[in-house]
Amino acid sequence: MVSESTQAPALTAGDSALKVRMRRAGELSASLLKNPTTVGGLILIVLMIAMAVFAPLLTEPNTPDPYQMPRDWGAIAEPPGTPGHPLGTTNVGGDVLYGVIWGARTSLRLSVLVVSITVVVGVAVGSLAGFRGGKVDEVLMRIVDVFLSIPELIFALAIAAVLGPSFRNIILALAVVFWVKYARIMRAQVIHVKENEYVDAARVIGDSPWRIYRKDVLPNAITPVVVQATLDMGNIVLVGATLSFIGLSEAGIAEWGVLVSEGQAGISAGRWWASTFPGLMVFLWALAFNLFGDGLRDILDPRTETTR
Amino acid sequence: MQIRDYVIRRLFVLPLLIVGVSIIVFTLTRVGGSPIGIYLSHEMTQEEVAQVEERFHLNDPLPVQYAYWASGVLTGDLGWSGVAAAPVTDVFLPKLAATMELAISAAIVAVILGIALGTFAGARKNRLPDHVTRVFSISGAAMPLFWFAILLLIVFWVYLGWFPNGRSTPEIYARINHPTNLYTVDSLIAGDFGAFRDAIWHLVLPAVALGYGATAIIARMMRSSLVEEMQEDYVDAARAKGLPERLVLRRHARRNALIPTVTVIGLSFGFLLQGSVVAEIIFQWPGLGRWMADSVLRGDQATIMAYVLFTSVLFLVVNLAVDVIYAYLDRRVALGE
Amino acid sequence: MRPTRSSKPPRRFLFLLILVLALVAAACSGDDDDAGGEDAGGETTTTAAADAGSDDGGDAGDDGDTGSDSGDASGAEVSNPGVFVHAADDEPTTLDPAQVEPGEGGETVILQVYDRLLEIGMEGPDPIPGLATEVPSISNGLISEDGLTYTFQIREGVTFHDGSPLTADDVLFSWDRVMTMDLPDGAASVLSDTVASMRVVDESTFEVTLQEPNAAFLNAVVPAMVSSIVSQEAVEANGGVVPGEPNEFLSGNPVGTGPYSFVAWNRGENLQFEVYDGYWGTPANLDLRIEIGASPDIRVLGLRAGDFDTIETDPSFIGDIEGAEGVTIFAEGLTVEPIHIAFNMRFDPADLPDADNISADFFQDPRVRQAFNYAFDYEAFLNGALGGFGDFNPHYIPQGIFGYDPNAPVYNTQDLARAEELFREAGVWDTGFSISVVTEEANLFEVAALVLKDSIDQLGNPNLSITVASVAEAVFDEAHASDPVPYAMWVKNADPFADPHAYVDSYTHPDGEWGVIHGFRDAYVDPDAVASLIDQAKVELDPAVRAALYSELQALLFDDPMWIIAAQEGVVAARRDWVQGFVSNPLWPRPSLKFALMDK
Repeated sequence: MVSESTQAPALTAGDSALKVRMRRAGELSASLLKNPTTVGGLILIVLMIAMAVFAPLLTEPNTPDPYQMPRDWGAIAEPPGTPGHPLGTTNVGGDVLYGVIWGARTSLRLSVLVVSITVVVGVAVGSLAGFRGGKVDEVLMRIVDVFLSIPELIFALAIAAVLGPSFRNIILALAVVFWVKYARIMRAQVIHVKENEYVDAARVIGDSPWRIYRKDVLPNAITPVVVQATLDMGNIVLVGATLSFIGLSEAGIAEWGVLVSEGQAGISAGRWWASTFPGLMVFLWALAFNLFGDGLRDILDPRTETTR
Repeated sequence: MQIRDYVIRRLFVLPLLIVGVSIIVFTLTRVGGSPIGIYLSHEMTQEEVAQVEERFHLNDPLPVQYAYWASGVLTGDLGWSGVAAAPVTDVFLPKLAATMELAISAAIVAVILGIALGTFAGARKNRLPDHVTRVFSISGAAMPLFWFAILLLIVFWVYLGWFPNGRSTPEIYARINHPTNLYTVDSLIAGDFGAFRDAIWHLVLPAVALGYGATAIIARMMRSSLVEEMQEDYVDAARAKGLPERLVLRRHARRNALIPTVTVIGLSFGFLLQGSVVAEIIFQWPGLGRWMADSVLRGDQATIMAYVLFTSVLFLVVNLAVDVIYAYLDRRVALGE
Repeated sequence: MRPTRSSKPPRRFLFLLILVLALVAAACSGDDDDAGGEDAGGETTTTAAADAGSDDGGDAGDDGDTGSDSGDASGAEVSNPGVFVHAADDEPTTLDPAQVEPGEGGETVILQVYDRLLEIGMEGPDPIPGLATEVPSISNGLISEDGLTYTFQIREGVTFHDGSPLTADDVLFSWDRVMTMDLPDGAASVLSDTVASMRVVDESTFEVTLQEPNAAFLNAVVPAMVSSIVSQEAVEANGGVVPGEPNEFLSGNPVGTGPYSFVAWNRGENLQFEVYDGYWGTPANLDLRIEIGASPDIRVLGLRAGDFDTIETDPSFIGDIEGAEGVTIFAEGLTVEPIHIAFNMRFDPADLPDADNISADFFQDPRVRQAFNYAFDYEAFLNGALGGFGDFNPHYIPQGIFGYDPNAPVYNTQDLARAEELFREAGVWDTGFSISVVTEEANLFEVAALVLKDSIDQLGNPNLSITVASVAEAVFDEAHASDPVPYAMWVKNADPFADPHAYVDSYTHPDGEWGVIHGFRDAYVDPDAVASLIDQAKVELDPAVRAALYSELQALLFDDPMWIIAAQEGVVAARRDWVQGFVSNPLWPRPSLKFALMDK
């Protein structure tokens, strides 16, 4: 019913672009709110982000580096409910609650950084290829094809392995891997939008290519990228945590994957807390963005292919 | 005709992509410096390090090293794996078989569960079962495999003792021959039912853990294509003829909805391949994935290169096959079934 | 498919998920009580499991019996009957005695498959007869008066696993082979630094002459893994001896005279051995399988599930096993591989990680090194990370090795005030420093580095900063093998030796292995005093005098420390209660077990 909103109908001259977009946003939110799972995802997202943003208020930041776990060497592997450690401690005395809260901040930092880098690069490359066409398109798309040939996690794993274990390198590895998807989506969209009458109209009026791209092509082509970016906000944390779990992050950092891996051994001895809470957080984080992104996709364009 | 051209074009591009991947892989493993570490031990002196460098051609310029590696790959020599303490090629096939056995089992779980769930949800669009199924299948995509797997292991191996860990009971494994290295197949060839049961028993947990994630992908595609099919004219026509809803679903909509689902089954194969790295670590599965993870942690570049190159080639080939099948099926649909 | 079927899987699956969560909750809520699983049939009992966690549930598995917690071996049904299963912590790179690196996984296998002329007994450092029928001594006439010539009577009727008989020629061949191959990764120098000449007197008599008298020959050289006796026939049939080249056959197919003969090495999975029926001594009770490549936590899980009989672990995992049903922890004695943190005084500042800002002479000031030694939180490392399994390591000569002086001055308590004072005196308190400590990831060394970081953070001076650089093992090995080492500090454990000289020479002598690489000569207040003490002690044959020299050295090194010695790790192993005849000697290669002695 609402599925046609992907391609904006040809605009009438009198409509201001802003007004149109406002109206579309209104329609969009209305249909989003009709779906309970999407709403559930949205609520989870808000909670997670709030936790990340207000981390310094929720717990005393560790000095000198708040992204490092505070370690209490006198309280090794204490169960939840221990005074001062409501969710218990890890096998090196790290406070699990601190890890859960600041892990959200780490995840937010990771996902926002990677998503913004990859979206910018991907959209730029995809737009260039799609808008210019010809040789440029050919060369760029061959590169994209090669990158797409290597399965994501394995590619990221290999990059992070080569760069050496550190959180910064995980960010880098994910950025190198994730931009191609956007490039491909964007290119397809740009080629599609370019065919529209209003683009021809603008060309006839004599608008510069840059202006046409900015005013007419980009806003109408960006929707699937937004959907994908929403899903990736969750997926990146999932893949990042997986890399951390395998052992490619730094020791002692407040990151969920690292905490699960550290706490994994204790589960068998009944010390479930050190990995259960952080693992659950990774799950909830990825679930939140997937639920919301899925709802968004259903409404914006039900036919786009699922992610790998 | 059209399909043949398409296939020929894809086949022509395939080797180019593989060369591209090999260049990326090689460059990548050299970005972090020389891969010599794995061949060194704590006690080596400078001269001994130089000897090792010489033995592996690591003192040559990069393009020369690439040429050594690429010609090695073409002649089946993938270098020396420090982790396996053996040539990569020697260890590769048995480990590949182990990984394939796991991935295919997981794919079976995922396909059956995914199609069932997708059909179930698609036929009840926007009703409670649809929402529940959606959350369930999206949970599969959002589930950190490393966490889910360890939970399964603790419950079903340590506490309940229903399923074992690892790939086999070594004593049972040892009593049959392994012509294919696929434990299930080998045990059937040997006619040893005990061994077959052992193989299946060991497969259950890892296949479920790994398959759950792929279930989500398949279920979502199945659902959305089913929803779409249900709105098609022929479905209305069938309904108008007075066919019960159940038969409309089974005879018409589901069959056609399966076609786009075939594509994601191909895609989910990539997902399974990647997931096998984590699943194999946790379930002690002696496959390529765990070897890769060990190699990553210990800086065994020869193995990393071989693994990335191989998975990419496999991924490309599977995708090509899926596209061809899809194009073929789609044409039949277009021609009117 | 019937339409109804499509509705079934999700429910069953959701149910499974709920089951998982409920059982985890159940399993974890009982602290001291074990939380048994529920009856196999019980779909409806899962919720009961969730709120009745402390229930001693009757279990379908083999670990459901109550009252088997106190070493009652008969309580549980033995799994894997007929084969002893050990889970090791790493995969060997080679099984050839000539190629194996001390402390590496291959030594575990060599200990079981090969014999040596003499073996270290079940307790203490004293050698007992192996393939030689007697331990040479001056009193039995097998050591010459000048202490240089040793005679070994070779046991008769011994056969190798390939059927060939053992003669004195095999012994000569084995030792000569190691020295001829002289492989960079192996420990050939153990023999070549000691032995002057060797001779076969007759078929069952072997004679060896040393370069100089050596009190450690019988307990550190002859029983060493590198001195294992290999089958000459097997080697010559498979590649022979090539100087500088590893023997591919022997590296994967050990042929010895030991209680176990080699069956298979499934890379990344396991090593399999069977009882050697022709063994000359008491034959092994069970076949043997060594599982390799299971991560530390999987080893713990496997032990608890009964899949493994013994596992290799480290003190930080003991807490995960404690209280588990059917499992016994063995923690006694100390390893002789102290965990130490190095000060590098010979690095190229350009090689250091970007964040590091110190110059190469930073650690040359002994006050700085002292300050680090005072700052380190020994208590946190030993009682926190090691769970108390270990001891403060006093010095460069670990407990259990000759020359260890319990009265020598020791850094074993954190003294932040003193550290601050020394940092101020040395002038680094205000200028500050930023140093990366490199370590292998995910092990005790990394934990030691974290403790160091936290210790320096505790000084409360934002100018002082330690970064823990955890890297892959291979990356660490490369850095560690470079000269100069591209990091200012690193964490590892000492190599195990049986004689004190090896420790002080490698780790403290200004012209020793690390003395040269790290530039001790420029850093010691009086390098010659240190050197001469070590050199004197080396050739001193009177034990009392030698011990006194080592005590003097240790006092000197207290004021001029070249390492932070974090702790001496305890020997810990865990086993199923059904394992019988368990015995362990820390002087046997890790995991310090001879499987042939055990049964279940």
